[in-house]
Amino acid sequence: MSSPWIFAARRLVLAVPLLLGMSILVFGLMRLVPGDPAVVVLGYKATPEGVRALREAFHLDEPVPQQYLRWLAGVLRGDFGLDFRQNEPIGRMILERLPVTLELTLLATLCTALIGIPLGLVGGARRHGFADRATLAIGLVGVSIPDFWLGIMLMLGLSLGAGLLPSGGFVPLGEAPLDNLRHLVLPALTLALSRAAVLGRLSRAAVLDVVQRGFVQFARAKGLAERDILFRHVLPNAAIPIVTVLGLQIGYMLGGAIVVEMIFTLPGVGRLTLDAVLERNYPVVQSTVLVIGAMFMLVNLATDILYGLIDPRVRRR
Amino acid sequence: MRRRRLPLAGLGIVVTLAVLTVLAPLLPLGSPTDIAKDLALRGPTVAEPFGMDDLGRSILSRVVYAYRISLGVAVTSAVLAVLIGVPLGLVAGYCEGLADQLIMRPLDVLMAFPAVLLAIALMSVFGTGAVLLSVALAIVYTPVMARVARAAVLATKVEVYVDGARALGATMPRLVLNHIAPNAATPMLVQTSVLMAIGILIEAALSFLGVGVRPPTPSLGLMLADGRGFMLQAPWMVVFPGLAVMLAVLGFNMLADGLRDWLDPQAPAGR
Repeated sequence: MSSPWIFAARRLVLAVPLLLGMSILVFGLMRLVPGDPAVVVLGYKATPEGVRALREAFHLDEPVPQQYLRWLAGVLRGDFGLDFRQNEPIGRMILERLPVTLELTLLATLCTALIGIPLGLVGGARRHGFADRATLAIGLVGVSIPDFWLGIMLMLGLSLGAGLLPSGGFVPLGEAPLDNLRHLVLPALTLALSRAAVLGRLSRAAVLDVVQRGFVQFARAKGLAERDILFRHVLPNAAIPIVTVLGLQIGYMLGGAIVVEMIFTLPGVGRLTLDAVLERNYPVVQSTVLVIGAMFMLVNLATDILYGLIDPRVRRR
Repeated sequence: MRRRRLPLAGLGIVVTLAVLTVLAPLLPLGSPTDIAKDLALRGPTVAEPFGMDDLGRSILSRVVYAYRISLGVAVTSAVLAVLIGVPLGLVAGYCEGLADQLIMRPLDVLMAFPAVLLAIALMSVFGTGAVLLSVALAIVYTPVMARVARAAVLATKVEVYVDGARALGATMPRLVLNHIAPNAATPMLVQTSVLMAIGILIEAALSFLGVGVRPPTPSLGLMLADGRGFMLQAPWMVVFPGLAVMLAVLGFNMLADGLRDWLDPQAPAGR
């Protein structure tokens, strides 16, 4: 009944309370930190005057709801406040590091698709064959490999051992595109391999589902070559679930990026989050967790809407 | 028959690891904590197949003891999530309407974050340690278990036998516990197994990052973090703890896969 645009609009409207809830959770969580954040920051250097000055500077003396509204109003304007340590604007810190994380995620998504989809096609096209069993086995082992360990192993083998690729660090895309790519290959592969295993498994299931349909049997009865059947009839019909899973995988990569950026010393948002957690720099933690969480949610939302636009059956739910 | 091999192998791995961790003190292993400087960074031998770490501690022994933390955190967090999430999901699904909204909307907020990120954020507030890590993971998993339970209730409560029981005068708790909840058992069992696999991965990842278990405790993630500094001289320091994580996760994943095929004959085969 509902048009695709009404469906999309409704999903978008529903995202607003969710984002608000996320901001409340993140803000509230950081207020649960035991002790006075001002004392935590100043550490052993804390004097009553210093603590009072810091509390005033960061509006820690206001009632909590008021602090939240002040913070939220700032966030909506793109102003995340200043961090506790260097007094730098957090918004700028995030903006500087965001391109690294986005490039890593994009490259990893590409790798995931290029490895996962062919794996699923090969496996699904010949059920119970050797390739099929291999796909299943790779899928099972792939989801069980810790990605940080995979990263260490790739680094050990390909960069420290064979000396093929750099083991860490980052060069901006604008300065030296080729060098930038060389630095991102291992991190992207690390992030991609376990997701490609999941995508391969689900692509295989999607292909298997389509292969059993009547129109595929008809195409076969008509005498079409197996390859034409696969690419013209099976793949387009299996594409919807495959694209959906890929979309969800992009979201998960944003979480995985934290670990990968740490191993390969990439200056991304994930690394910023982790450093802030270890330094107890709560205003930064609060902002980066909200930004990564919001991106994760929006990617999932976009996937959901896309799915609804392609497949009218989803809209009725 | 072939379909039963996978879950059995998974169960075999899980049970073997569980028995190993329980019997660890009785096994002929070196101490996981005793420092022997003269043995530092010694490679794998027949007596010590996993080699020694930078302080001369037996890696095999440390892996076995680290499994205690891995499995302990995974089991505790999954059980806690079941205890909190399932009742919430059952009530939300049975009552629908306002109660459903009040329970599920806040849980949606928790699910809107990537699991690793939420776990890190929670640990940044909680501090470090195995118990706190279990609680953090339980919070991350609760919405998952609540959703599974709620979906099962929504699917089951329209069945005729539930109407029948209600017509006979069954009270709400009785309806839910005796007639509805048993039908939710299959998806919950599968989900619990999946969550334990993820739990082992996240425990290792967070400890590796320095926001999980505290250093004196042998943990697979901490061992990997230590080993990174000696990667070139002593690759066994990073190879074996990683393989150990993978084996445990593989066991739970195989178990979950097998349970899914086994208990739900309508599911697409071989997924």
